[in-house]
Amino acid sequence: MGMSRPAYLVPDHVRVRQEDFGLLFYDTQSTRLTFVRSGDRLVPPPFIGLRRALAMTAGAQPDAALSRVLDDLVEKGLLVACPGE
Amino acid sequence: MIWSKKDCSLPARVSDTVPQRLSTLPLRSPVNVTWEITEACNLDCAHCLSAELRAAGHGELDLVECRSLLDELARMQVFQVNFGGGEPFLRADFLDILRYAHRLGITTCVSTNGTMLDDGLVDALLDIAPVYLQVSLDGAKPETNDAIRGTGTFERILAGIEILACRHYPDFSLNMVVTRLNVTEISAFDALARRYGAKTRLSRFRPSGGGCHTWEDYRLTREQLAELSAFLGDHPEILTGDSFFALTPDSRRNLGLNMCGAAKMTCAVAPDGGVYPCAFLADPAFLAGTVVEERLGDIFRASPVFAGFRDLEVEACRGCGRFSICNGGCPAVGYFLTESMGLPDPECLRAVETAREVA
Repeated sequence: MGMSRPAYLVPDHVRVRQEDFGLLFYDTQSTRLTFVRSGDRLVPPPFIGLRRALAMTAGAQPDAALSRVLDDLVEKGLLVACPGE
Repeated sequence: MIWSKKDCSLPARVSDTVPQRLSTLPLRSPVNVTWEITEACNLDCAHCLSAELRAAGHGELDLVECRSLLDELARMQVFQVNFGGGEPFLRADFLDILRYAHRLGITTCVSTNGTMLDDGLVDALLDIAPVYLQVSLDGAKPETNDAIRGTGTFERILAGIEILACRHYPDFSLNMVVTRLNVTEISAFDALARRYGAKTRLSRFRPSGGGCHTWEDYRLTREQLAELSAFLGDHPEILTGDSFFALTPDSRRNLGLNMCGAAKMTCAVAPDGGVYPCAFLADPAFLAGTVVEERLGDIFRASPVFAGFRDLEVEACRGCGRFSICNGGCPAVGYFLTESMGLPDPECLRAVETAREVA
């Protein structure tokens, strides 16, 4: 049985919205912006709320580049990786 | 953002996860909005950005209209609202407005003259937290500040700052609009801010609003501009809210947007609901609409004024090696000095360096 993909949650202090190029993250603690070229492959969760999860567009597959982007966002504290269910 | 005292409008830092600058691409909504929430003020500063708006006396949005605008900002997913005025804390319902914004998930920053801060107000702000506060103080010495902001204001402002410091207020900065009167006090100002546990923010003096009347007396000389540029290069910890993107050296390139974000990443709402590309261009020539009659999202997306602004190019700067950094600088400075758009920023680093070489 293969390992399932982790889920990516958006922390309470982070906002994320969809732009034409991909996602735009805003950290309310540092007021720092992070621009992510993800096209329409990633779907942002609602603006606020609990356990907001980043979703992948139906049919989209995470390639190596997208995985690196997600890892980078986790490293910056803009996403939290949770073990796959 | 962010903006003589409005300069907190732009985020502190920007990074792309890929080399190409995605930050130059069009956005669906502003990242932040500067909102002059009231015309009322208890000071009469010589360089007040909002002096002419206040004099015009167009009135201000009521609480219902303010909540409606905040609903629209949340719908647009605007990340941050920078409140200014006038003095925002003179507005009786301002805390209600702040609470409502936070309930919607919008981050807030308030530009205040500090004279209204007392224990009760600071407690209320700590309860709403985080509310980023930017306290205006225009010198490290009473005589310097008071010459600009009014007699006795240095002590009144410092009293408010002391309350913030005593309460260990976590997110506040002291903001100085850099003029010929206070430019020699920057280091002392920075030391004063550190003493109170505040960050130092320096804002650019522009010939907008009341600044057009004091421009010749307050503007920096070319030598002072060059010294300021070097100082900022040596002090990356000092916030500028992108005030000086046309002036700062390459070493600060990654500390902010380094571009004019007007009508692209930001816009401004006047007390009466009028919408402008930025707080420094709150001039009838740039009125893009009013939130009393239209949705802000529609104005931002479809206003011909904003479209024209996004297409604005400073042709004369295209051959300059710094064009990719500043894109011609602040259009507001050129406009208020020449009444023309699309002219180079007269205080850009290249202009300053060229003048020094000729001299």
